[in-house]
Amino acid sequence: MLGQAWLIPAFPIAAFLLIMVCGRFEPLRSRFVSSGGWLALLGVGASSAVSLLVAWEVFTGGHTPYEQTWTWFEGATFAFEGGIYLDGLAALLLVVVGIVSFLVVMFSVGYMAGEGERRIRYYAEICLFVGVMQGLVIANSFLLLFIFWELVGLCSYLLIGFWYEKPSAASAAKKAFLVTRVGDVFLLFGLVILFNTFGTLRYSELFADPALLAEHATELKWATLCLFGGAIGKSAQFPLHFWLPDAMEGPSTVSALIHAATMVKAGVFLVARAYPLIVHSPDTALYIAITGGFTAFIAASMALVMYDIKRVLAYSTISQLGYMFLALGAGAWAFAHTGGDAYAEAHGYTAGMFHLLNHAFFKALLFLGAGAVIHAVHTQDMREMGGLRKAMPLTSTAMGLAVLSIAGVPFFSGFWSKDEILAAVRHNGEAEPIFALLWMMALATAAMTAFYMTRLWMMTFTGPPNAKAHEAPAVMTVPLCILGALAVISGFAIFLGDGFASYVHYGYLVHQDDWVLLDHILTASGTHLSVAAALGGIALASLLYYRSPTQAERPERARFILDNQPTAWLHHFLTERLYISRFFDWFGLRCWDVGAAACNRFDLAVIDGAVNGIANGAIRSGERLRRLHTGFTGHYASYSLGGLGALVILLRVVLPLTGWSP
Amino acid sequence: MIPLLHYVLFSSALLLIGGYGVVRNRNAIVVLMSIEIMLTAANVNFVAFAEFWHDMAGQVFALFVIAIAAAEVAIGLAILLSLYKQRDTIELDMLDLLRW
Repeated sequence: MLGQAWLIPAFPIAAFLLIMVCGRFEPLRSRFVSSGGWLALLGVGASSAVSLLVAWEVFTGGHTPYEQTWTWFEGATFAFEGGIYLDGLAALLLVVVGIVSFLVVMFSVGYMAGEGERRIRYYAEICLFVGVMQGLVIANSFLLLFIFWELVGLCSYLLIGFWYEKPSAASAAKKAFLVTRVGDVFLLFGLVILFNTFGTLRYSELFADPALLAEHATELKWATLCLFGGAIGKSAQFPLHFWLPDAMEGPSTVSALIHAATMVKAGVFLVARAYPLIVHSPDTALYIAITGGFTAFIAASMALVMYDIKRVLAYSTISQLGYMFLALGAGAWAFAHTGGDAYAEAHGYTAGMFHLLNHAFFKALLFLGAGAVIHAVHTQDMREMGGLRKAMPLTSTAMGLAVLSIAGVPFFSGFWSKDEILAAVRHNGEAEPIFALLWMMALATAAMTAFYMTRLWMMTFTGPPNAKAHEAPAVMTVPLCILGALAVISGFAIFLGDGFASYVHYGYLVHQDDWVLLDHILTASGTHLSVAAALGGIALASLLYYRSPTQAERPERARFILDNQPTAWLHHFLTERLYISRFFDWFGLRCWDVGAAACNRFDLAVIDGAVNGIANGAIRSGERLRRLHTGFTGHYASYSLGGLGALVILLRVVLPLTGWSP
Repeated sequence: MIPLLHYVLFSSALLLIGGYGVVRNRNAIVVLMSIEIMLTAANVNFVAFAEFWHDMAGQVFALFVIAIAAAEVAIGLAILLSLYKQRDTIELDMLDLLRW
């Protein structure tokens, strides 16, 4: 089956081409495509089935990566080999993308039912996205990854701008494209450095010789920093995080698939992919951890005050991605500082990837649930929602499970992975005080996550019953239920077989005894702290935002925040998104203005000045010289006689005196 | 035998007098006459140097100059005549159509 892995991207791309081509011509369209939904479902479904089979084979087939190459183009000194590279990391992403993409496309059939002929465009773009995302996952070199990286960026742009006639959607699409492009330039720089240093971009060749990598520590430091720059853009980390909340202008299904479960994970995937390089540069690892921890903290703080249901989820996504980077950075740092120990392991790596798996399920579920809610009440503002629990029992239950999961309530999936991350960071904190600080920030983030997620659920679903809303059709609720089940159980993957770490790990693999691990997790003081933080957040949010079915008015308990000066100021500061977006707007406009003014001044003074100066000089000298033309012949004669005399004096007197002879 | 220097001084004087007449006079006929005086100055030089160098080419040249000066005067007077018919004047400072 591994040899047929190329089918994974091929199926959705074939579906994309079929929908695009047949969708354009009338008899073909009504006969074969109609809205494109079933073709998309077929293409993505086939791809998901193959990807699950391939992942199964990778997970059960031992630990050597499988690679299949063919020559793409050849030069005099270099042949570029495209191909497929499958290891535990790629297989994990195949599982995530395979499951989530199929469920999202299924959900789309119900969610997009009212969009008419535009659905053809929607399904074509979704298919293209799934194809290139799977291609990104199984690519065998950084160059191939970069190509797919740009293609998923294109799909993201197209789908954010799906309702392009809305100015806000069009500008959000542009913003997402341009901001991620900043990161992509860094990524390209990183690839150039890598290629110049090592002469190849294929994973298997790059990672083959750790001694050679260790020799080029300086080059690797810059290369990995640049690669991480690309990840910052794609995964919306500080300071390039502000495009993701605006990307919520697209349909909710797009947010669920692209901006929560898959594409934004590409940055995490890139860092995990480049792990053999990053472990040689502790500086990069530290920088990744700091960026991740800081982003997780500020994004969670901004999610506290948002009223737009999808924006809360967007900030939550940024925050959780920050968690993953924190874990990866902590793992690489620990690995680098054990100093090439043969028994070194990167615990943070496994933790980060585990969180990626769990987050994909519960965040896709939250976005799809938000989509179902928006579908029912036609607004995104949580202040206008409420009381949907009776009307939408399945949706509210599924979203409730996701909330408990992301908040880190014990035995839900988020609990296991978040706890692993906190443990990895805390472990580093014993050696490096920065990690102790990051651990405290991560713990605060966990509390805030529990708070804003509970707030979201309480504002949306509790309160007097909303009679007008009704549950979504089965095609939408079935994916919600499947994802709800996954959000509960995916965390138990930590006990699967020889443990999650035996499938996706970096470095030396420690044999895991499930009962010892469980005992360790349940008795560690870090676990108790994070559970206390989660339960505290949930309790506080329930207290502030819960409404009983008979309570028509919103509870006034949260009023005290706006009534007190310091908290009101803080609230405003968070509502304004820490002024980061404003700062970039101001900075951009400022640069633009200053540059334009300088150009204007240069144009007026130098270019126009030269042209006008020459012209004015000619006019003025002409004005003066024309006075010589008196019209009196005597004057002309005297000029020529005077000239003759001057010439004679010059030739016979002045020049001989200076020593010149004719 | 009159020394050459005297001829040269005499012709220079004639040239300056003719030049002064050309530059200062407003009457076109007087200007033409002044030009004749300048030509005469040149002729005096030709003849004097021909005698000095014993070369007859200078005297031949002087005869040519006289012939051409006669033709020039004839054309000049014809122009002045038609000018007088058109403008009723031969005062040079009245003829300033090409003035700035």
